[in-house]
Amino acid sequence: MSIFKKAFIGEIKNIKDSYYKLSLITVLPLFSFFIIISIFYEGVIRELPIVLVDNDKSSLSRKLISHIQSSPTIAIKKMTPSLRDAMVLVKKSEAYGVVIIPKHFYKDTLLQKQPKITALINTQYILIGKMLTSALISSLAQNSQELSLPINIQVTPFFNTYQNYFLFLVSALLPSIWQVFIVIATLVSFGSMFKEKEEKEFFKDGFFEISIIAKLLPYTISYLLVGIGYLLFIYQVLGWEFQGSFTITIFGMFLTVVAYQATALLLFVMVFDYARSLSLAALYTAPAFAFLGVTFPVLSMNTFALLWRDLLPISYYIELQISQANYGLSFFDESSKLLYLFSFWIAFIPVFFMFRKRMQDEL
Amino acid sequence: MSFKEVFFNELKLIFSDVAIVITIFAGVILYSFLYPQPYTSQSVSELPLSVVDMDRSDTSRDIIFKLDATPQISVKRVDLSEIDAKEALLASKVKAILIIPKNFKKDLASSKSPTIAFGGDASYFLIYGGVLEGTMKSILTTSATIQVANLLKKQVPLSKAKLAYTPYALNIINIFNPQNSYIQYVIPAVFVLILQQTLLIGLGILGGGINEKMSKGEKGYFIEASTWMMMLSRVIIFGSIFFIHILFYFGFSFEMFGVSHVASISELLSFSFVFLLAVISFGLFIGALFSSREMATPLVLFSSLPLVFTASFVWPIEALPQTLVYISMLFPSTPAIEGFLRLNQMGASFDMIINLYAILWIQTIIYFSLAYFLINHKKHLLKN
Repeated sequence: MSIFKKAFIGEIKNIKDSYYKLSLITVLPLFSFFIIISIFYEGVIRELPIVLVDNDKSSLSRKLISHIQSSPTIAIKKMTPSLRDAMVLVKKSEAYGVVIIPKHFYKDTLLQKQPKITALINTQYILIGKMLTSALISSLAQNSQELSLPINIQVTPFFNTYQNYFLFLVSALLPSIWQVFIVIATLVSFGSMFKEKEEKEFFKDGFFEISIIAKLLPYTISYLLVGIGYLLFIYQVLGWEFQGSFTITIFGMFLTVVAYQATALLLFVMVFDYARSLSLAALYTAPAFAFLGVTFPVLSMNTFALLWRDLLPISYYIELQISQANYGLSFFDESSKLLYLFSFWIAFIPVFFMFRKRMQDEL
Repeated sequence: MSFKEVFFNELKLIFSDVAIVITIFAGVILYSFLYPQPYTSQSVSELPLSVVDMDRSDTSRDIIFKLDATPQISVKRVDLSEIDAKEALLASKVKAILIIPKNFKKDLASSKSPTIAFGGDASYFLIYGGVLEGTMKSILTTSATIQVANLLKKQVPLSKAKLAYTPYALNIINIFNPQNSYIQYVIPAVFVLILQQTLLIGLGILGGGINEKMSKGEKGYFIEASTWMMMLSRVIIFGSIFFIHILFYFGFSFEMFGVSHVASISELLSFSFVFLLAVISFGLFIGALFSSREMATPLVLFSSLPLVFTASFVWPIEALPQTLVYISMLFPSTPAIEGFLRLNQMGASFDMIINLYAILWIQTIIYFSLAYFLINHKKHLLKN
């Protein structure tokens, strides 16, 4: 049997013999994906609770209240007599904001004194606060019928035309979890071999590079399939729009999987220890989502954050996935991202070198 | 074996384990520095926008000037055609386009209500929200100014003219995080999770490692030592290390990154105390379940993102599936994040978070007892 085939089949046997390794490429990632998908399945947020303090209690204030109530995003949870009572509910997170209708609201409106409605919005929860603010503005703008401004504004959201959080968050969260699995599975495979002291047997024929690649290959295939699985689930089964080419995206996925396998092994050769390499992997992969630039724009990040971001293959993969899904750029336009992902493969050079050095000492 | 002996054996085992030391010292400190980095500029500002000015009048230039002056937006380019602007958008050079139509000034003067078109890249949601908010505010202000000026021309007195465009005003006040700062939003919550996860990994490696040694028939203090002495030692050792971490996170780091903190020290510490107890008990429990040293890190790592997004500070609890809400309450981070946010960011009094405090105590009692029975059971099996 060739060295390649021996190492490849040996690893498949390892996976078959260990429920843990098997679940790392099947049940565990799928279960994590399932949880994330079910969190955001609703996608659109409805009925955010607020408290209303009506100091006027007139027909006009009642009209205004029913207007606010008709907004699908807002639900008036309670009417309280004072701001103090309302704030208790806000501090208990039972409501995200307070709307106060002033005394003499009706009278002052009639007298054209332009009374002020005050809305306190809890922006500690930024996303919730933003949704509540825009819902309130549009609800009140509709109500004030005299509002006839000389300039009209026509708003068109490009790309994510549904304005849905599901696509926005889930399409970035699933790859962020996926990269953790790739790194962990690589370390489990190589770490357990060193822990069980099977490495001498494994490398005894001396073709280190070939054996390493063959040992990684079952995971490369598995995680590529897991990746294709979530991609098709989002854009085919759930039917979200995908402008670009699945071939380019999947090719990028392949580059990403191998890029992460290379960086995982780079972490491993720094310590040559199973548990320690896992601790390093935790530091490397866990904060990735924050650096992607999906929730917080890359444009506003500082130099250090941009530098750290450059060390994570997933940042480039996400850019590729988003630009393929939304803009449908050509292979040529995407070549810089693909090249960047490919450049992580360079990590194999020090990896091979370190394995060779280590094994020559051992053998 | 005396408590003192057990305690020093535990201490030795923890500090001689490099994987544990990396996690509970280097990890905790590195994360506190690394995690806030993307957000240090505090809020989304100066997002690039392209204006297609087909009118080229003083009014359209005035709109562009005012737009550029808004904190959220910087007018990066003024394009001659819509096609150029769209190309810049596709190349991610700008995040939004604004089109001012031909004859804009003329139509405005003849009260024809011209339409300005706004288009933004909505694939990055919060970026889109930021640009849209800034644009709307800026144009609405300009619009209102023009309206007032038009009315003034018609000899309507200024005080009346100002009122005419809207009968009542909406005054929106942001509370607790008035600047909409991201660092203020993310860090107080994520720090709680980091403390939990590193603590769980440390205890998980320790517990799993001892189980592994026992199953291999290795001898050690852990066979003779009484279960409660071992557990108490771990509570004291991990508790004191992480107590210092908590002071470092909520004190030093918050100051360094300019995160506000309003809770009184005594309230913050009493909540931290039960938070640590709950996490340590949970860690003792999962440590007793793991059969090897290496199981803790991956499993804790996989749980991180789901735990962040079920903790209801990003996605409202009202929109989460009810089953997930119940499951998330099994983890100390869920009530703890909520409690710390309310106490330290929103200025809630202790009685307003008493239910969360109670949940953490219940978790402590349940997980501590479960851990006790599990460890005892394993030792019992070994002796027979």
